[in-house]
Amino acid sequence: MSTENNNPTPKKKRKFSRRKFFKRGGIILGTTLIGVYFGRNIIRRKVAQIAGDMDLPLGIMNMEPDFWFEIMEDNTVLLKLAKMEMGQGIFTGAAMIAAEELGVTVEQINVQPATTKNGPTDMLGTGGSSSTSGMYTPLREVAATMREMLISAAAKIWNVDASTISVGSGILQSGLQQLSYAEVTQQTTEWVVPKTPALKPESEFQYIGKEYKRVDLKPKVMGESIFSIDMELPDMLYATILYCPYIGGTLKSVNSDDAIKHPGVVKVERSDDWIGVIAENRFASVMACRKLKAEWDVPKMWQQSDIDEMIKPENGVSFIKLQKDGSIDDLDKENTFAQTYNTPIGVHAQMEPNGTIAHVQGDKALIITGTQWADNVQGKIAKAIGIKKKNVEIKTTFLGGGFGGRYFQSTAPAAAKLSQLVGKPVHLLRTREEEFQNRYYRPPSHHKLRAKLSEDGMIETIDHVYGSADMAIKANAGDLVLKMLGADFAAGGHGTRVLYNIKNRHSKIVNCKLPFPTGIWRGVGQFPNTFAIESFIDELAIKAGKDPIQFRIDHLTDTGDPLIVRAKKVLETLAEKSGWKSPKREDIGRGVALCEDRKSFAAAMIEVKKVDGKIKVTRVVQVVDPGKIINPDGVRMQVEGATMMGISACLYEATYVKDSQFTATNYHQYPMAMLSDSPEIEVIFTEGSEKPYGVGEPPIGPVAPAIVNAIFDLTGERKRRLPLY
Amino acid sequence: MKISFSVNGNPVNVDVDPETPLLWVVRDELKLKATKFGCGKAVCGSCSLHINGDLVRSCSYPVKYAEGKQVTTLEGLSESEKKLHPVQEAWMEINVPQCGYCQPGFMMAAAKLIQEIPNPTEEDIRKNISNICRCGTHPRIIKAILKAAELNKALIAES
Repeated sequence: MSTENNNPTPKKKRKFSRRKFFKRGGIILGTTLIGVYFGRNIIRRKVAQIAGDMDLPLGIMNMEPDFWFEIMEDNTVLLKLAKMEMGQGIFTGAAMIAAEELGVTVEQINVQPATTKNGPTDMLGTGGSSSTSGMYTPLREVAATMREMLISAAAKIWNVDASTISVGSGILQSGLQQLSYAEVTQQTTEWVVPKTPALKPESEFQYIGKEYKRVDLKPKVMGESIFSIDMELPDMLYATILYCPYIGGTLKSVNSDDAIKHPGVVKVERSDDWIGVIAENRFASVMACRKLKAEWDVPKMWQQSDIDEMIKPENGVSFIKLQKDGSIDDLDKENTFAQTYNTPIGVHAQMEPNGTIAHVQGDKALIITGTQWADNVQGKIAKAIGIKKKNVEIKTTFLGGGFGGRYFQSTAPAAAKLSQLVGKPVHLLRTREEEFQNRYYRPPSHHKLRAKLSEDGMIETIDHVYGSADMAIKANAGDLVLKMLGADFAAGGHGTRVLYNIKNRHSKIVNCKLPFPTGIWRGVGQFPNTFAIESFIDELAIKAGKDPIQFRIDHLTDTGDPLIVRAKKVLETLAEKSGWKSPKREDIGRGVALCEDRKSFAAAMIEVKKVDGKIKVTRVVQVVDPGKIINPDGVRMQVEGATMMGISACLYEATYVKDSQFTATNYHQYPMAMLSDSPEIEVIFTEGSEKPYGVGEPPIGPVAPAIVNAIFDLTGERKRRLPLY
Repeated sequence: MKISFSVNGNPVNVDVDPETPLLWVVRDELKLKATKFGCGKAVCGSCSLHINGDLVRSCSYPVKYAEGKQVTTLEGLSESEKKLHPVQEAWMEINVPQCGYCQPGFMMAAAKLIQEIPNPTEEDIRKNISNICRCGTHPRIIKAILKAAELNKALIAES
């Protein structure tokens, strides 16, 4: 892998000013949990509020410049990034942010995934649309520190005052003297590390805010070996694992006689809950795995109707009230408008199946894997094979899609066990069937919405109750913590609150226990919540006889809250620029929806029509305010991607439970949006903040509700259950 | 069983189980990793390559049928990195990939499409390519194929 190199690295005195760096690291969840346990509801709400409002901290602990950067002999800079590139464009954004302070061009920066040995580790993982917002300031600070180190080293070489030195394109200059960063690095043995320098004002930005193509464009167009599936180690064997295909099932017995006789098979290994087949090539391991005769203990035959019942809020096990403004007692009386909305179980379906190459030698392990959370994998390996965490080296690669699907479960511990067993490197790859049938899922949801309109058609009272299952907390910290917290506000809570200023406004998230693992997905809470609330708001607008955009704006009364100002701006821009007010053909339906997620806003106007009796999305205009934009085309790609995934999840995607198994076994049973579903997509920005916020997830929010609102506009029929087909 | 065919213009001989999908032979025996495993059922198109000029989903194509044939993978699509195939050139210009995993399959399908339909409409593209992309690069793929067709026509006119 190209992260390894023998090129010069600054050797330095270890006297870093860590003060400022460390302040930005760290995770506060540990301390808040204690308070929650004793305080119950009021404190739960408060903690959820803090978690919702706080900027996600950057979980990267080593903020020393040489952990991040290496100056190479050819005067390029290697940036070892602990955030994973899974398509979201973070490598490009990071290169632009770093170049800005480092005094090099974006092209001079070569971004590579950090390994746990050579670079910074990331305690939080890559997800939650947090990478850009979390890194924006620390990465500039660390780059500026590096630049100052180079300047002071050059000042020493030339014996001049540092203030006479200017930098640009990786060249240091003082008067007529010039040295490249590489030359200075080669001549320097002791580095002086300054206090964190002041950062460039925005007005002097050279790169941030400009259009850049992806830094990983060429390797991806040329088909270079950049994914974990592409990696090889000498003398490597191939493994396939059979997991229990039943929810809650356990392995009773297995007859592996036929499998072990299959040509090319080296070893069949039974673990507590899976059976691994190791062979000389992939085909042999897959075919032999099919010859395993396993018997499973299945304690209960779950059906979809069980799941539908369990996910109803009234059957939940605990809850957390996220909003409690005014009183909703009024809703128990007459003239209340109430509806329920449902979303199904979702699968990540990322294109590269999960896999790992593991090589365990004695008490050391090398792991190559595509994961959203390398630090977590490192700990799991140590535990699985009984070695020290520091002896586990994780090399990450580019990820063939993530969407939350590479966060909690990892193939790495099983791969490490198998490698330990045969004493050779093992390439474990899950089949697509395993990826659909044995994993964690986007939990289904059941929403109850109630509201009352005043005589002048304004919402007086609104109540949202959201029943769903765990998304991150149980998967991360265990069931007890989830019970203490009441429900998963950390991931699933997004979008539960009602954004509009309504006097009497309650919202509640109910934790329902499901018999299978559930976890994060692109906009895991945002997607179902925005579908439910923004469909309901549309129903209310129609009841009130008002224009759906104006109705929303009317409920965003200016309270001095900058978030409200930004939300309003996004809607006003949408009304003005999307063609919302222009006359439309009779065969077209139009719908809108708004969402706020992690302080980013997205509002969509969607047009649909019926083609051969089926709804087709023909045009999407998204107005997005992600705060400060680093790379406009990078954000555009994220919005386009989220739009397509939203269309896909709205129209087609679902898996169901039947006889304790998931009905979708592969893509043919889990239809997704294709080229034929691709509408015209226009992306418009309103940059409402000087800080960048996340953009990977927010734009998925408004897609499904805007589609169903458009369908109502076209047909008069209201869809309240996803998927539509 | 020994099987001989050519890959990207080079003759190759492999000794493998004749039922092995061509995909694994290309990837693991011949070390050409651009062709990807996606579903194993010829549904997603990540493993698309060309055999004697036809578009084939190699995860479901036993290598024994490749005997004596000409296989082209993404690595062999362009003449060189300096002289890219119109499809790859267009992909660069439109900045198409996100995670990038499905893109080789899409580019192989696109190369075949512009050969069959030199002047494709958007509708031709939508109807004739059924590969799966999870990141949602669909709008850019359509744009890039239209662009590739233009570049291709210019190339033909030149020669």
